[in-house]
Amino acid sequence: MEDKVIEVNFGPQHPSTHGVLRIKVKLDGEIIVEAQPVIGYLHRNAEKLAEMGGYPKGMIYIDRLDYVAALNMELGYVLAVEDLMGVQVPERAQWIRMMMVELNREASHLIWLGTHGLDMGMLTPFFYCFRERERILRILDEVTGSRLLYNYFAIGGIYSDVTPKAFEMIRTWTEDFVKKMEEIQSILGKSYIYVSRTKDVGKLTAEDVLSYGVTGPMQRASGIKRDVRKDAPYLFYDKVNFEIPTRTEGDVYARFLVRIEEMRQSASIVKQVLEKIPQGEFYNKKYSKPMLVRLKTTGESYVPTESPKGEFAIHLIGDGSSIPYRVRIRSPSFANLSSIPTMLKGYKIADLTAAVSSIDPVFGEVDR
Amino acid sequence: MIPIESESTTKNGIKIVYVAKENILPFLTEKKLEGFDTLLMISGVDYKDHLEVLYHLLSSTNSSRLIVKAKTSEEVESVTSLWKGADWHERETWDLVGIKFKNHPNLKRILLSEGWVGHPLRKDYPMDKKQFVNLADDGEDRVSYEKTEGY
Repeated sequence: MEDKVIEVNFGPQHPSTHGVLRIKVKLDGEIIVEAQPVIGYLHRNAEKLAEMGGYPKGMIYIDRLDYVAALNMELGYVLAVEDLMGVQVPERAQWIRMMMVELNREASHLIWLGTHGLDMGMLTPFFYCFRERERILRILDEVTGSRLLYNYFAIGGIYSDVTPKAFEMIRTWTEDFVKKMEEIQSILGKSYIYVSRTKDVGKLTAEDVLSYGVTGPMQRASGIKRDVRKDAPYLFYDKVNFEIPTRTEGDVYARFLVRIEEMRQSASIVKQVLEKIPQGEFYNKKYSKPMLVRLKTTGESYVPTESPKGEFAIHLIGDGSSIPYRVRIRSPSFANLSSIPTMLKGYKIADLTAAVSSIDPVFGEVDR
Repeated sequence: MIPIESESTTKNGIKIVYVAKENILPFLTEKKLEGFDTLLMISGVDYKDHLEVLYHLLSSTNSSRLIVKAKTSEEVESVTSLWKGADWHERETWDLVGIKFKNHPNLKRILLSEGWVGHPLRKDYPMDKKQFVNLADDGEDRVSYEKTEGY
């Protein structure tokens, strides 16, 4: 047999690409010689769309970026606009925002864990994760009125207060979740097949991580302890206790462990918020809806936030009119995905799905 | 030391510095040695009479931030030699804003298909003109103003 490199096209219509990712893979036997990702199949140009309407209108497009963690996206936009306009937000609204964002982070990590298990050929964790996610979605439905795309955060606060029934649902959820987490972790983490398929696969060193601008759980799995919630606290993250889980291996298994631990920390944050949440206004009365469309200013703002995938932020530039001049979205998945060529090189074709799903790419956000 | 043209801040206090466009690569090299080891993103803004290119830098050790800006007329030096991640960001900036990057290894469109006319984030981009992505004979996507087979 002579040495021959063949080219295989992976995706864009493939269940384990988590959307519409296409990878052109060059194979030498089973070994990946070169992997070139092709993106853009879900491109809608959210930046241009957000530059066409007033400041409050941009929200509905930003919502649809990372559609499994829509509240985290909304938070990035809302904080940027409030920073630009100098809007004051009542304390209660900020605590509620923090709680909702953490709940949405859990939902996002659970959907990742379930589908990641599927990519490894394991169907059971999918049901466990989606059962838990369903409970979170019901809480979000009770609070915001919708299950996936919320449009809940408003400039100056939130659209509606959290009902006592919802508080009760969240409280029972936080009590149950720690037990359930144990269960879910043991299905995958104690499975010999899962561990042997993910250990030493898709490695990224700390230098690679910095060079590619990779952020979020992927960065922390490669030994760089950085979390925007700790480094530059927004909302009230400086008033709650939580740890930043880090690993040094930088492989798929390390990312799994980091995300599992992050879910535990998020649940503990939600628990602490429930204790500390004060009574009061949930909305700044000065910014009623007719007032919002008249917001205008000049200047720039960039408020970094920690989304489930990494650092998410929006660079807003105002030109003095009521329409933002430039809305630039820093999307974490885009930068994380660009590390694929380094991450896959030298591994076997069977490791490809493991490595790609460990990035947790969401294509609404990659392609914008 | 590379001279800074002017300085300002964002509303929450992140420093913005303007440098001359020919000084971009030496200035960013200098900043990388000073500890700004992460390039978060590259973006472009169309100010109608000129274009601006923006670099968001972050230091992973003390988490300080810096935004570097340069006024440009369509072409600047690529920084892919400093950060591998700059590759995709520069391709995106070329794709959507139309700023060219000299010495970039593979400066092609990334989000839009090959053959697209215009750069959508320019302020003078015609919004009413429809372009269609068609399927070419070799299986790749081609863009034209007429709709044929494809999506």
